[in-house]
Amino acid sequence: MSTEVRIPSIGFSTQEGTLAEWLVADGEPVEAGQLLYTLELDKSVQEVESPASGTLRIIAPAGEVYDIGALIAEIV
Amino acid sequence: MTASDSFPASALLDVYRNTLKIKTVDEGLRRLIMSGAIHPVFHPPTGQEIVAASMGAVLEPSDYLCTIYRGLHDQVAKGMPMKLIVAEYFMKTTGACKGKGGAMHLTHPASGVMVTTGVVGSSMPIANGLAWASQIKGDGRVSVACFGDGASNIGAFHESLNLAAVWKLPTIFLCQNNRYAECTTYEDATSSKTVAERAAAYGPNMVGVTVDGNDAREMWTAMRDAVARARAGDGPTLLEANTFRFSGHYFGDQDPYIPKEEKEAEKAKDSIGRLRQQVLDSGVATEADLDALKAQFEAEFEEAVEFARASPDPGLDEIYKDIYGAA
Ligand SMILES: Cc1ncc(C[n+]2csc(CCOP(=O)(O)OP(=O)(O)O)c2C)c(N)n1
Ligand SMILES: [Mg+2]
Repeated sequence: MSTEVRIPSIGFSTQEGTLAEWLVADGEPVEAGQLLYTLELDKSVQEVESPASGTLRIIAPAGEVYDIGALIAEIV
Repeated sequence: MTASDSFPASALLDVYRNTLKIKTVDEGLRRLIMSGAIHPVFHPPTGQEIVAASMGAVLEPSDYLCTIYRGLHDQVAKGMPMKLIVAEYFMKTTGACKGKGGAMHLTHPASGVMVTTGVVGSSMPIANGLAWASQIKGDGRVSVACFGDGASNIGAFHESLNLAAVWKLPTIFLCQNNRYAECTTYEDATSSKTVAERAAAYGPNMVGVTVDGNDAREMWTAMRDAVARARAGDGPTLLEANTFRFSGHYFGDQDPYIPKEEKEAEKAKDSIGRLRQQVLDSGVATEADLDALKAQFEAEFEEAVEFARASPDPGLDEIYKDIYGAA
């Protein structure tokens, strides 16, 4: 079963966020809790952990702005 | 107040069990938020687990609880089913409030969780109302109002404590003093050294106690004494549980206003690790027992997530239901 990775809603006013950098390369193994990518929001930069263990399948490239809820990767 | 020393090993285990359950739900919800699965406005209870765990270990299922937006630990400890909590965070019809209340309003009278409110200070008068009903009916229930240090500076605090003392209501005012109200420190907004010392202003019917809320023995004992007092009809207690908020005010607040040293000093206390060690030292459970308990709660949480995912969203026809006033 795969686990979706979507842009989270963190805090109150956020509508979108910039996926600044993938910290794990496409196709690499990841552990749940490992830092996965950095997310820039209105007032903060967050390092986001992997929600599951498995292999990372990146869907959305870094360096772009995405809406909250956008599907950016899957852990398979 | 007679603070008895007896703290049975079974109570110690009860407190640890509740703590572990709270941690499981808190951490599980954080993972769901960070993977973009749910979008609640979440006020984490991280750091305050033992306060609620002890409260839950003392209360009966039929007792009443009125809590606040930072209430996940209170709700879990009071016995609210995980499925109902998680489904409400997913805003599904199978949630505690049919998916229309969300994280800040979880309510489940069958578990005694009578209200979760986002209005600072409002848990106290509601708890008094419930306590008054119990007093009139003679049903022996007690009511607990949870609130923060900041809420102790709201007018409703004074009104509630005064009335509870006048009528000797079976209300327990449980102030979870985490030293911050959003980004305001306790000292910057509070005139008295402790919240509990204000109890003296309400006459002999009100008792005030301050404890280390992150110490299971102190917290459980104080809670037991307050509940016994209320049940016996001897009156209300203002119980101040000193604790700490390890996360921001809301999830995503990176709390730059909390000095690093202050947080590190609290982390170093490792209250939950110490509690686990106390349980092991008492001989009431083994490492294997505690690991099995953790696995059991994690499985229960995963089951709750599956249940929530498979549940329907509320339809538009729900919009004018369960509200006051005509559509
Ligand atoms: C009547 C009212 N005033 C202000 C607010 C905004 N507000 C929300 S939480 C909060 C801080 C409350 O702090 P405290 O009582 O210490 O509880 P904690 O969040 O620390 O658990 C404030 C001022 C509100 N929700 N309601
Ligand atoms: Mg506070």
